[in-house]
Amino acid sequence: MAIAHGEKLLKYLEENGKANSLKLSELWNEDHQKIVGTVKSLLCLGDVIEAELHSTVKWDLTEEGKQVAAHGSHEAQIYNAIPPSGSTQPEIMAQASIPNASFTKDMAKVGFSKAMSLGWIAVDKSSGAPKFIQKVSSIQDVVQEHLKDLATGKNTLTNELRTEVVKSYEMKPGSSFSTSVTKQETDLTPEMIASGSWKTKEFKAYNLNALGTPVPRGHLHPLMKVRAEFRQIFLEMGFTEMPTNNYVESSFWNFDALFQPQQHPARDAHDTFFLADPATASDIPTDYMERVKNVHSHGGYGSQGYGYDWKVEEAQKNLLRTHTTAVSARMLYALAQGGFKPAKYFSIDRVFRNETLDATHLAEFHQIEGVIADYGLTLGNLIGVLYEFFRKLGIEKLRFKPAYNPYTEPSMEIFSYHPGLKKWVEIGNSGIFRPEMLLPMGLPEDVSVLAWGLSLERPTMIKYGYDNIRDLVGPKVNMQMVADNPLCRLDKHRGTEIKEPEYLQELDIRMDSIMTRLRGIENEVNKLKKQGKGSQEKLTLVIEADPNYPPLSVQTLIRILMASRNVPVSVTIHQHSSLKKACSTDLMQWAKSTTSNLNRIDNLFNLTWIWKSIGPRPAAKVVNHCNGDICGEAAVARLLARLLESWTDCAFYENYDLNTTAEIDDWLDMWESCIQSGDPTFVVLANRINNRLNSSDGRKWLIGSFPGTKSLADVFLSTLLGHKLNSDRAKEWLSRCNSF
Amino acid sequence: MPTISINRDLLFNALGKSYSEEEFDELCFKFGIELDEVTSDKLIILKEQGTERSVGASEEIIYKIDIPANRYDLLCLEGLVQGLQVFLGETEFPPFKLIPSQKVPQRLIVKSSTSSIRPYAVAAVLRNICFDQHTFNSFIDLQDKLHQNLCRKRSLVAIGTHDLDTVQGPFYYEALPPDSIKFQPLNQTKEFTASKLMDLYATDSHLRHYLPIIKDSPVYPVIKDSNGVVLSMPPIINGEHSKITLNTKNVFIECTATDLTKASIVLDTLVCMFSRYCQDQFTVEICEIETPQGGIKNYPILKTRQEKIDVNKINKMVGINEEADKVADLLTRMCLTATVAENGCLLVTIPPTRHDIIHACDVYEDVAIAFGYNNIEKTLPSTNTIASQFPLNKLTDQLREQLAQAGFTEALTFSLCSKEDISDKLRKPLSSIPAVHVSNPKTLEFQVARSTLLPGLLKTIAANRKLPLPLKFFEVSDVVLKDNQRDVGARNCRKLCIVYYNKSPGFELVHGLLDRLMQLLEIPLDPTGTTGYSLKSCDDATFFPGRCAHVVFEGVTVGVLGVLHPEVVTSFDLNLPCSALELNVEPFL
Repeated sequence: MAIAHGEKLLKYLEENGKANSLKLSELWNEDHQKIVGTVKSLLCLGDVIEAELHSTVKWDLTEEGKQVAAHGSHEAQIYNAIPPSGSTQPEIMAQASIPNASFTKDMAKVGFSKAMSLGWIAVDKSSGAPKFIQKVSSIQDVVQEHLKDLATGKNTLTNELRTEVVKSYEMKPGSSFSTSVTKQETDLTPEMIASGSWKTKEFKAYNLNALGTPVPRGHLHPLMKVRAEFRQIFLEMGFTEMPTNNYVESSFWNFDALFQPQQHPARDAHDTFFLADPATASDIPTDYMERVKNVHSHGGYGSQGYGYDWKVEEAQKNLLRTHTTAVSARMLYALAQGGFKPAKYFSIDRVFRNETLDATHLAEFHQIEGVIADYGLTLGNLIGVLYEFFRKLGIEKLRFKPAYNPYTEPSMEIFSYHPGLKKWVEIGNSGIFRPEMLLPMGLPEDVSVLAWGLSLERPTMIKYGYDNIRDLVGPKVNMQMVADNPLCRLDKHRGTEIKEPEYLQELDIRMDSIMTRLRGIENEVNKLKKQGKGSQEKLTLVIEADPNYPPLSVQTLIRILMASRNVPVSVTIHQHSSLKKACSTDLMQWAKSTTSNLNRIDNLFNLTWIWKSIGPRPAAKVVNHCNGDICGEAAVARLLARLLESWTDCAFYENYDLNTTAEIDDWLDMWESCIQSGDPTFVVLANRINNRLNSSDGRKWLIGSFPGTKSLADVFLSTLLGHKLNSDRAKEWLSRCNSF
Repeated sequence: MPTISINRDLLFNALGKSYSEEEFDELCFKFGIELDEVTSDKLIILKEQGTERSVGASEEIIYKIDIPANRYDLLCLEGLVQGLQVFLGETEFPPFKLIPSQKVPQRLIVKSSTSSIRPYAVAAVLRNICFDQHTFNSFIDLQDKLHQNLCRKRSLVAIGTHDLDTVQGPFYYEALPPDSIKFQPLNQTKEFTASKLMDLYATDSHLRHYLPIIKDSPVYPVIKDSNGVVLSMPPIINGEHSKITLNTKNVFIECTATDLTKASIVLDTLVCMFSRYCQDQFTVEICEIETPQGGIKNYPILKTRQEKIDVNKINKMVGINEEADKVADLLTRMCLTATVAENGCLLVTIPPTRHDIIHACDVYEDVAIAFGYNNIEKTLPSTNTIASQFPLNKLTDQLREQLAQAGFTEALTFSLCSKEDISDKLRKPLSSIPAVHVSNPKTLEFQVARSTLLPGLLKTIAANRKLPLPLKFFEVSDVVLKDNQRDVGARNCRKLCIVYYNKSPGFELVHGLLDRLMQLLEIPLDPTGTTGYSLKSCDDATFFPGRCAHVVFEGVTVGVLGVLHPEVVTSFDLNLPCSALELNVEPFL
């Protein structure tokens, strides 16, 4: 059928050059949908025709409209139903419904009122009962005329119509136009191969944009895929798998053998599943148990022990193992019995905790554990192995935090830098098993055992982006998730994880190495400082200053120095002959010695202050030091600040960390550059101080993160610029500085 | 891991230095504690009780810090500051000194009646102490932290602190019937008998947790002074009469216990942390404890221990190579003052605050911490071993792979389940199942260890009914069975279970998969049932009658397959036919 129409359509196109499906449907008196079907099947043939989809709006009459077109408008029907002599309303209605049975009361009502308003009919009450009569002799029914027009395609009105959207195709010949069509085969059949008919057939093109049919197949669980990866990593690293197929364990192997005391909170029923049946274990190796009991209660093997009454009943209590380390303990014990040989063990299996459940915690989970036992292993070895282990997971950046664990010492929590979260996250625990655990087993004294553990679920949740563990484990899991889960390639970062560009990592590494070196330098500096502190050097200082430019900050610092510690200080103040004018008493007595005897040899600090005409830059000289003069108010202030720190051990300037010290230097330098620029108006600097103090955090001091910390910068700048500041915050700051 | 809350400004003030949050976090990390949360009273109330309640609450910053469970000496501001300052090299660890009483020593007489309930007591006096509001609060908080952690919620040790000037020694520690103990407890206005007190505190959110420690005992512990004034009824409550206040000058501390070692540690810790506020700093006055046997022992012990530690061993264990004096410096920074002794040894002083140091390895760790874990050179051990897989796990993984290739999808279900799951729902009496029972399950789902994988898989089907049929799931995992041949009386058994759920039962499909598995395992079909495998019709309540068979391997039944009984299907909220196979994997190793 479609093909028959197809050939007809192609011939039409050949003759006319173009065609419209709607027009063809009219022309051939064929259902439009059939024409559309033909067009679609022709389109499948390739470029035989080109077709464009058009939507046209078509007007069509409603039922009421059709009535009006056939019988006239409601008012005309009323008019026509009135006899020349007039008639009553019911009679007229009866009359009107003779030619049009579906003429309703409502329509009549409309008809009457419309005919009245048009002046076609009138009411005659002369003969008692009201009668309707024709008022005009003839009428022209415009409504009916319009509707008739519409029905024939003339679009003149919009009311009384319903719209219909018609989709039609506008067609023209395509690039490989032909009037004859062969039916295209959907696919190759055995018959075609047998008969060779495939040589002459044309085959329908595949739609390569659609997805293929899903392949029915089975799938492995995502968590087990991640487990397989970890297993593979351990095997690559030469670790032997431990037999962990024993969920039921005795408290002895789960806790006591690990030197975990019997009152330890983990042994509480709140944390551990104990068993009602079988409730207790037997067959604990007797002499080993005796050694364990002794090391718990009295110590031994170099240990103080825990000093409590160890009870065998407690050790015999059965439980669901809380960690696979219970199995490691059995393995190490067995290793000791058979004549120790170095060993590397691993396991990945279920453990049980009677914990409160939440989105990331279940009562059972998988623990990954690695153990290395050998002579002379070090903490550095453990760190090295962990780096290699995690490198295989694609994790390069690690750091370690001291931690506590009853059976390892030292213990380290393992943190890795998560580039997506941009922070360090804990990824596991590690340590060296305690001698109190190993020696009672009978392991040689110089054997160390390194161990680490992590959960399998957590890295899997991070890897695949789950935030609820129940979506991953348990019977409520959506198995479609299992089917859709990709391969597990832990060293490849895709999807939810964000990989930093390499140059950023490189920068990070460089930054790290710079910071490490800086920290090293800082440590050295601190050490030097400490050495300096031990011997409180006696110091004799000569400061020269101009009375026209009194170095107020230096004077303030000297006052603080003198007040800071009850040490003998002597101050002598002189005037230099270069001065044109004698100094006032105020200037000559601004500082008083704190020593009763003026024997300079006993004093810790002797200051000679000379008023001299040297301009705005005061100079200081440390007597008996070959260093040159220290020039400028800021430089002298720094010298005094160092002195203050070495005397009082407070943090004021360089006792802060490097960053803070640099911040203080910055403020002092700003002041210096104002002086040097020859325009010491300090407006900019004063504004900066104001802004700093008025910042929204309401800081108290210029330096450091909120609320700041008092430092040389505060003393220096408040003394010198205090009078230029007038905000309330600044005034508060000034009074704080003054009470320093 | 205990968490302590510390006012940041007070902390920085005590440290003599301000830190940014990052700086302090970094310091904590190096020292082995963790800045867990930065908050304020206001934020806490806001979070717990809403905006309205938080109005007017303090906005002072509070640091919540996680402390390792064995570092009782860091559980208060005083100890933390001391630890950090010594770590930073800013101060030296103070020497603690025991001093005898200037008059008659305070004596606590322990009566034999306590032996059945709480047999030990220790005591000490802090003389001429000067509290302010902050230090007083810290003193109370530390007792609370110790009660929660080291004292195991007061079950092992309970602390009572008293204003010594309100009572008259010697003191008597005895155990009396509840009705013969009557006193005015802390923060109450009238007297109660001990029995009445138990009723009073039954609803107290704080104290009710401690009641069970003594509740059912015929006698309750009580400490009285020589005039019969009740100081405390451990481990529940102190008396109002002797309560300490900001103005208290002399503090009498008693600890009653079921574990004497821990009581002594608690006492040492308390006096070490707060003797700094005594007029004579870091001194503690000795008390005498008279035991029921009549012996006299002095407390607190406040023992400073010295250990000789080989520097070589430290270096070897940590994996560093430092000179003895450098190592001594490192230890000194961890409050373990050390000096270089002869033969490459260090003389390490372990102060009474460091009860966690019980072995040389604890000292090694402190060297490593002070050196910086992250400064230790990473090296690889030379341990040379050849790896092998656990054979059962290897076989399991190979079978899992094959099951997935056969079009089945792996489920991962829980090892624990309810009793009903393995019995009633499978139409079997619980008594017939050698299941392992949990004694303290928090919910029904943890009553027993599963004895079969079937319930987990059926629950998985129930949760996945919306997926297109057929549903084909498997699991190869351990079940747990009682076995009195094992030391613990139970063993795991590796099982393989497959389920097929569709509009038709599909028995032949499950059967076909069994044949495939046997082919893979190179086990021939042998209907005589002696050498290979065979199926033998059987009755099993879980399966539909006449639609069930045992899998027999070398004459032994190793599994069962069949069409599930309709009642089993419906008990797991399912409504279509279902076939299943469960096989013990271990015989095929």
